[in-house]
Amino acid sequence: MIGLSHYLILSAILFSIGLVGVIRRRNLLMLFFATEIMLNAANIAFAALSSYMHDLSGQMFAFFIIAVAASEVAVGLGLLILLYKKYGSLDLDDYTMLRG
Amino acid sequence: MENILSVLIFFPLVAAMLGFVVKKDSIRVYGITVAAIEFLLTLWLWFSFDTANGGFQFIEFVPLISDFGINYYLGVDGISLFIIVMAALMTLLGIVALGENIKDLKNMIITLLFLEVAMIGVFVSLDAIIFYLFWEFSLVPMLYIIGAWGGEKRLYAAIKFFIYTFAGSLIMLVGMLYIAYVYQSVAGVWSFSLTDWYALVLPISVQKWLFWAFFLGFAIKVPMFPFHTWLPYAHGQAPTVGSVILAAVLLKMGTYGFVRFSLPLFPDASVAYILPVAVIAIIMIIYTAMVAYAQKDMKQVIAYSSISHMGVIMLGVFAMNPEGITGSVFFMLSHGLVSGALFLLVGVIYDRRHTKMMSEFGGLASVMPKYAVIFGIILMASVGLPLTMGFVGEYLSLAGFFKVSPVLTLLGGFSIILGAVYMLSLYKKSFFGPVTKEENKKLHDLTGRELAALVPLVAIVIWLGIYPKPVLVPIDNSVKALVAFMDQKAQTPEAKRIIHVSRSTKEAK
Amino acid sequence: METLVYIALFAPLVGSLFAALFGMRPKTLWTGVVTSLLLFVSFLASAMLLKHVYTVGAVHAELMDWIVAGDMRVPFGFTVDEVTAVMMTVVTLVSTVVHIYSNGYMEHDKGFNRFFSYLSAFVFSMLVLVMSDNFLGLFIGWEGVGVCSWLLIGFWYHKPDVGRDVNPSISPSWAANEAFIMNRIADLGMLIGIFLIYWNVGSLNYQEFFAAVPQLSHGMLVLIGIMLFIGAMGKSAQFPLHTWLADAMEGPTPVSALIHAATMVTAGVYLVIRAHPLYSEIPEVSYFIAVLGTFVAIFAASMALVNRDLKRIIAYSTLSQLGYMFAAAGLGAYWVALFHLAAHAFFKALLFLGAGNVMHAMNDELDIFKMGGLKKVMRWTYTYMGVASLALAGIWPFAGFYSKDTILEAAFNEQSYGIWFVLWLTAGLTAFYSFRLVFLTFLSDERYKQYGFHPHEVQKYVLWAMFPLGLLAVIFGWWKEEFMAFVTRLLPAYEMSEHTEHMVWILIIVTMAIAIGGIVVAYIMYAKRLRRNERIEQSLPYRILSNQYYIPIFYEKAFAKPYAELSDIAWKEIDQQVVDATVDGIARVIEETGDGTRRMQTGNLSDYLKWMAAGALILAVLAIIVAMNH
Repeated sequence: MIGLSHYLILSAILFSIGLVGVIRRRNLLMLFFATEIMLNAANIAFAALSSYMHDLSGQMFAFFIIAVAASEVAVGLGLLILLYKKYGSLDLDDYTMLRG
Repeated sequence: MENILSVLIFFPLVAAMLGFVVKKDSIRVYGITVAAIEFLLTLWLWFSFDTANGGFQFIEFVPLISDFGINYYLGVDGISLFIIVMAALMTLLGIVALGENIKDLKNMIITLLFLEVAMIGVFVSLDAIIFYLFWEFSLVPMLYIIGAWGGEKRLYAAIKFFIYTFAGSLIMLVGMLYIAYVYQSVAGVWSFSLTDWYALVLPISVQKWLFWAFFLGFAIKVPMFPFHTWLPYAHGQAPTVGSVILAAVLLKMGTYGFVRFSLPLFPDASVAYILPVAVIAIIMIIYTAMVAYAQKDMKQVIAYSSISHMGVIMLGVFAMNPEGITGSVFFMLSHGLVSGALFLLVGVIYDRRHTKMMSEFGGLASVMPKYAVIFGIILMASVGLPLTMGFVGEYLSLAGFFKVSPVLTLLGGFSIILGAVYMLSLYKKSFFGPVTKEENKKLHDLTGRELAALVPLVAIVIWLGIYPKPVLVPIDNSVKALVAFMDQKAQTPEAKRIIHVSRSTKEAK
Repeated sequence: METLVYIALFAPLVGSLFAALFGMRPKTLWTGVVTSLLLFVSFLASAMLLKHVYTVGAVHAELMDWIVAGDMRVPFGFTVDEVTAVMMTVVTLVSTVVHIYSNGYMEHDKGFNRFFSYLSAFVFSMLVLVMSDNFLGLFIGWEGVGVCSWLLIGFWYHKPDVGRDVNPSISPSWAANEAFIMNRIADLGMLIGIFLIYWNVGSLNYQEFFAAVPQLSHGMLVLIGIMLFIGAMGKSAQFPLHTWLADAMEGPTPVSALIHAATMVTAGVYLVIRAHPLYSEIPEVSYFIAVLGTFVAIFAASMALVNRDLKRIIAYSTLSQLGYMFAAAGLGAYWVALFHLAAHAFFKALLFLGAGNVMHAMNDELDIFKMGGLKKVMRWTYTYMGVASLALAGIWPFAGFYSKDTILEAAFNEQSYGIWFVLWLTAGLTAFYSFRLVFLTFLSDERYKQYGFHPHEVQKYVLWAMFPLGLLAVIFGWWKEEFMAFVTRLLPAYEMSEHTEHMVWILIIVTMAIAIGGIVVAYIMYAKRLRRNERIEQSLPYRILSNQYYIPIFYEKAFAKPYAELSDIAWKEIDQQVVDATVDGIARVIEETGDGTRRMQTGNLSDYLKWMAAGALILAVLAIIVAMNH
């Protein structure tokens, strides 16, 4: 029987994978993917809890997140393309203009 | 004039704003006029003040943020009345005494007017938040005065002054918020009104914490040992007018805070901490008097002497009887006038020689006799000679504290000996002996402008030394009410024992 | 009668303010004349008050409130009773003489007007001191005379500091500061006494305090008595606060005559006499006062024996006579102390003014070894100083005989034979050093010639001005019985026991014998010519005496220097190195923390993300811990 905890564990695993990706990856595109994974991890947790607590607001949040993520990707990818055009690289180590 | 207090705050504010459009060559006249009108207004306040009434008068109350109990709440009593008059007077005389060769005169005068707004605001506020606003606002013009017109190390001095006092007052702000929180949990509504807070009887343990929170804010301002080191730098670097206002009025905000907040809000804690406060005060008195004696720079002697005298004021505040507290409030006034005058006097010689080192002078009494006479009178007032203003306050403060602890008073009384030591040696080094330096032989005596600033101070210092009653009685009435209130509010038997209500108050009941 | 009180009190103040108006101008003769006239007015008013007190009784006047705070109410109140009337008359009489005298003495000084302003201000303060009806009013005068003394000692402020070996007082301004600060030390004691009185009695008025004395505990009375006496010790230059008096001789000589001989220094004696209801209750303190006075009498006399400075010798004799007064007051013979105070004021002022004449003649030379034989050119001054010295030595029938002899009788009567013996011995020393001074100055060989001085007698009117003092120095003692009858209306009468009555003649003869003996020794040693003995002058006791027992040097080494060094340490080591360094240290810690953590700001996004993840993790862990605790 697949219970709530299984979903939450899946969500946690996915989130950890995303987190490691965010930390380890140097390529901005990969970073994007990693954040998407983390967002989806959150979505799974929302959906699972929503069904468990019989409260639809969780699923509503999940839809919200999907919508926000989609628009974010649209804007973000646009920015990435601009960045690539300007500097010819998507490697994070090349962008240290904000060094303190 | 029902809302004279608002006028007192907003008149200089508006005048300062308008000052930006005044032409450069008429700014001096403008500044003097504005300050003079303001001073006359404070005099009017004094004459229409009901001296028999010990409570707050001229109260103004406009709700600002009702949900949080923050109001535009003003009022004066005998304790704050004369400090306001003095603040206006010192601003006026400071502007009168501004030298011809000062750069950016316009900015200076505008800054001084802003400073006046802040100073008067502090002493008329009865709402903690408004009080705090003015308290912090007063730092800005002073920071600017030191930073823009100061000496070589002006930035260091200005920033030290700002951050030090600012850090202290932030802790005080936390204390204020906590009192409001306690008030809310007891009364159910928020309030920052002092008069509401007075009614609040705080548990002893809470009082003790709050006492130290407020203590930090006030003690840095006073400044009490060991928080005093910003003061010599600020005085050393500030231009004359900055030192005058700083010593005369800004330091008094600290001692005034003790009288206005600490004593009535935390009577038990205040009594419980008499000993540590008195020990610090005595260290201030003796130790800074010694440091003053070691100084080579005239202005630093006076700066340290200020700290030493503030120690006596602190003793008077914590005397917990009307004699001492009245004396300390009076001493705030006399110290304001006297140290202000002393800084003006040092400014006179600095304008001429561009040095304040005592070793550069000697024999000034033969070259500048008028200067020497005025310096001598003010010096005697600073040393606390009877029939000058300095004596009345010093005597009453010490007499009051004697009731609490004779031994500590004896130690505090060293003020009168050590004060004579450093002041007379300053006078001897600068004014007596032969004229050794060639450039001192041609110094010209006081000019009309300088006399105009100094003679009123000398006159007041002597007048209130001979006949202090018109000032003492209103102060005393308010202080008696304060002490009676503290006695009523005190919980611990120790506080009941030490707080000494005057006989006349008891008979009135 | 109140008008008279105010005239007597304020006439000198008016004079002072008038002279002050012209203080910065060169000499204007009329400032001297006007102040002298106003002083004379004050004297007349005082004399009339004396008569009024004699015939009718004490006068009380209250001008206005001064300090009103809490339960404290101190008015400007004045009482003229027997003691005050005597003091006022003495003070104004001597002051008038000194004012007139100063017209001549200060003739060529460019601070002429300033001088009269200070001098009259002094008289005003002194009158406030003696006339006040409460302790704080007394304290006004007490501090007021201190400031005037400071101004007048340092009158020639332009003189530079020199070493102690050249001038033991270093410089006028140094001596002025020393006097002021020493007095301040004592004033603190007095202030504490005033506080004690206020908090125990609730009033500072003399009458109310004296009325409350029986109710106070003995310990409290002793404490009050000691504290007030500490104040008296400073003003009257009693050991160990005595060094300022000799140094105060740096002031112009009329000042020494008025302030440091006749009036201000007797303020301490006045205080003890005034507070007699207190001191009668505390015999142990009174006895201490008597013993200290006796000690100072012989201690000061010993220093006068070898000194070569004209004015310092007289200053030490003043100190010694103050000791006599305290001895009398301490033994309970208050009226005798007052009697000696008045007599001493007359003859000592005369002596000083005579010394002023000599200085004038000798171009301000003070070394009596450089004088001698001045009798020929200064016959009048010689007569005055001779009379004054005879009075000082206590020779019959001069004023000093009556007063000093009564003090000795009182000491004998109290069976304090030790005190009696020391005072008796001091009487001999007094006679010796007084006449050593007179003989070395006026008789003996004319040594001044080899130093090229051309002495001359002073102006006639100056000599006439001194006449009243000369007369009083002779005849004042004849009024002893009347004086006693008058002042004992207020002061306790002092009865000699039968035993003493029997002994009186023997005592008088013994005392006269030692006094005359002293004069004879002085005559033998100095009247013909100055005999100097190198061996004695190099001997240790001589050097100790001529260096004032090394006390000034000790004070400098033990107090002044260490204080200055300690102050320097307090500033440079503690204030800058510890207190301020801590403040700056805290600021530096904050700054360096900021500087150190700045490296976190690499600019690399993935580093930021790492920090963010770490932060999120910590917060998550914290949240879990908190959740588990609930």
